Amino acid sequence: MRSLLAALILGVTCAASAALADDEVIAVFTKNQTNPFFTAERLGAEVAAKQLHARVIQYVPTQPDSIGEQMSQIDDVIVKKPAAVVLVPVDYKAMVPGVDRLNAANIPVVDATDRSAGGKFVAFIGGNDYELAKATAERLFHEMDGKGKVIVLEGVRGTLTNADRLRGFHDAMQAYPNIKLLASQPANYQRLNGLQVTENLLQSFPDVDAVLAANDAMAIGAIDALEGEGRKTLVIGINGTKEAIDAIKAGKMLASGDYDGFQQGCLAVITAIRAVRHEPVRPELVLHPVVIDRSNYRLFDKPIEQRSCPTWEEAIGH
Amino acid sequence: MIAGGLASPRVRNIALPATLLRLFYRLLATLLLCLALSIASEQFLTVGNILNVLRQASLLFFIASGLTLVLLSAGLDLSVGANVGLSACLAGTAIKATGLPLLGAAIGLGSGAAIGLLNGLMVTTLRIPSFIATYGMLWVLHGVAYSYMAGQAVYGFPRAFRQIGTGYVAGIPVPVLLMLVILLVGSGFLRRTIWGQQIYAIGANATAARLSGVPVARRLLLVYIASGAMAGLASLVFLARLNSAEADIGDALTLPAIAAALIGGTSLFGGVGTLAGSLLGALTLTIVLNGMNLLAIDASFQPLVTGVIVILAVLLDMRLRRSE
Repeated sequence: MRSLLAALILGVTCAASAALADDEVIAVFTKNQTNPFFTAERLGAEVAAKQLHARVIQYVPTQPDSIGEQMSQIDDVIVKKPAAVVLVPVDYKAMVPGVDRLNAANIPVVDATDRSAGGKFVAFIGGNDYELAKATAERLFHEMDGKGKVIVLEGVRGTLTNADRLRGFHDAMQAYPNIKLLASQPANYQRLNGLQVTENLLQSFPDVDAVLAANDAMAIGAIDALEGEGRKTLVIGINGTKEAIDAIKAGKMLASGDYDGFQQGCLAVITAIRAVRHEPVRPELVLHPVVIDRSNYRLFDKPIEQRSCPTWEEAIGH
Repeated sequence: MIAGGLASPRVRNIALPATLLRLFYRLLATLLLCLALSIASEQFLTVGNILNVLRQASLLFFIASGLTLVLLSAGLDLSVGANVGLSACLAGTAIKATGLPLLGAAIGLGSGAAIGLLNGLMVTTLRIPSFIATYGMLWVLHGVAYSYMAGQAVYGFPRAFRQIGTGYVAGIPVPVLLMLVILLVGSGFLRRTIWGQQIYAIGANATAARLSGVPVARRLLLVYIASGAMAGLASLVFLARLNSAEADIGDALTLPAIAAALIGGTSLFGGVGTLAGSLLGALTLTIVLNGMNLLAIDASFQPLVTGVIVILAVLLDMRLRRSE
């Protein structure tokens, strides 16, 4: 019995070490456990690694978006020496010293989702918040025949994503002189704030034709507020979350810009593995803006677990 | 002896006018804020907007009311926001899985109260300072909620359940009615029962209260359970109103709820405060945001304006009281 057990343990250990020897380990850093976007991104990373016979270890701060925690996780990783790192910096400026330390340790780093303000990277993989917001707003203005009164729900002030998305909304408005902006107010990317700020704005502006929200959570909060007042108003959001896709399907929401965390996770890990294997990579892969609406939501209306990563050729063919 | 004395009508009659007076100035400060806003925006004093503000303030008040009891006993509960998050997720997934709103409601309230009980046991039996015990609990609840939800949201609840958050009775939003019930029942409990008076006594001087026969541990347990249960109630209204729950939905509420109680005149050191004050505090915070939205103040200035108005409101309250 005991020898059987010993053999078993030995066997498992050998198998494990054989697997370790083959598989490159990619350390993937994301910002938090609460935002479904990063869940999708982590899943994309796992799927890509599996397809290429590599292994992913996830690092997520226990306190959402904590600079200190991500910094100490980077220090841990430098000791463990993975083949490569995929980093979504919790703060695009504050994490630069961490990137410098990874550079000094000669660990290749792929910058994902949020563009870092400094440090050396193999590549940047991400979406383009500005183009995505602009394309989604244009989809809305087209639906409104280029005229009407709108309100904007802003995300967290001081974040790059929010600034880019607002710029996209505003630049889209420039091309439509008959779109009138009634108010642009912060709702911090939160659903409750989206609901309450919309309720407040409806007191001041009874005639609202559309709501442009810088993310889906605020958009859905706005829809609840509008429904509460018994109004039908066009609403757009950004991120392409499952809930937004359901709302589009139910005809409650017009469109959502697909920020596609899954795809970003895929491409970041594929790039990292290619760099480790000395295969050519692109210094920058930026996803084309895709707007989800009633015409194409079916393509996105399936569990994220069932999606597969694109091949490298498909990715660079974008 | 004193424990009995605390409930005697004589003591109550001395304490009541002073408290009422303090509340009156607090109310005056809030009304001045309203006056300023009604001059600045003609929409502010409409029936629609008043109901709107009351409904928005109710979420904050539910949490702040439980916290007020804890503060009165000279404790603190930092876990309320995380409690709202986990209780909402548990109740939400239960409703989605079974289609039974009542079961979900029982689970939301139950988990809220159970978390409160654990806090209370840590404070009374293990004698851990409440700040640390509830701060630790905050992390435990985050850990459980984050791994339970795995970054996903649960959403889409039956219409009947959503009435708690979105319904009206006689033209008044249900959360506002709930708020009034809690205000009346809670104030009655604190003012007119021995148990309520004992909570004030513990906060004023725990040793004296113990020596005079107040069952301190049992009352403290009650206070933390009440705080947890109110967070559980808030989680249900939240769930019904937002039609969705995520692990972190309550996180942004802890500090405003503490602030609401303190703005309302409740002392961080125990023994002083009222539920009506906490309601005024919750209203002040809500009105500031409502006013900024109505006036469409630029987003960059909003945090600054919020800070200045909160400080001015409390300063005004203090000045009015001193001039008395």
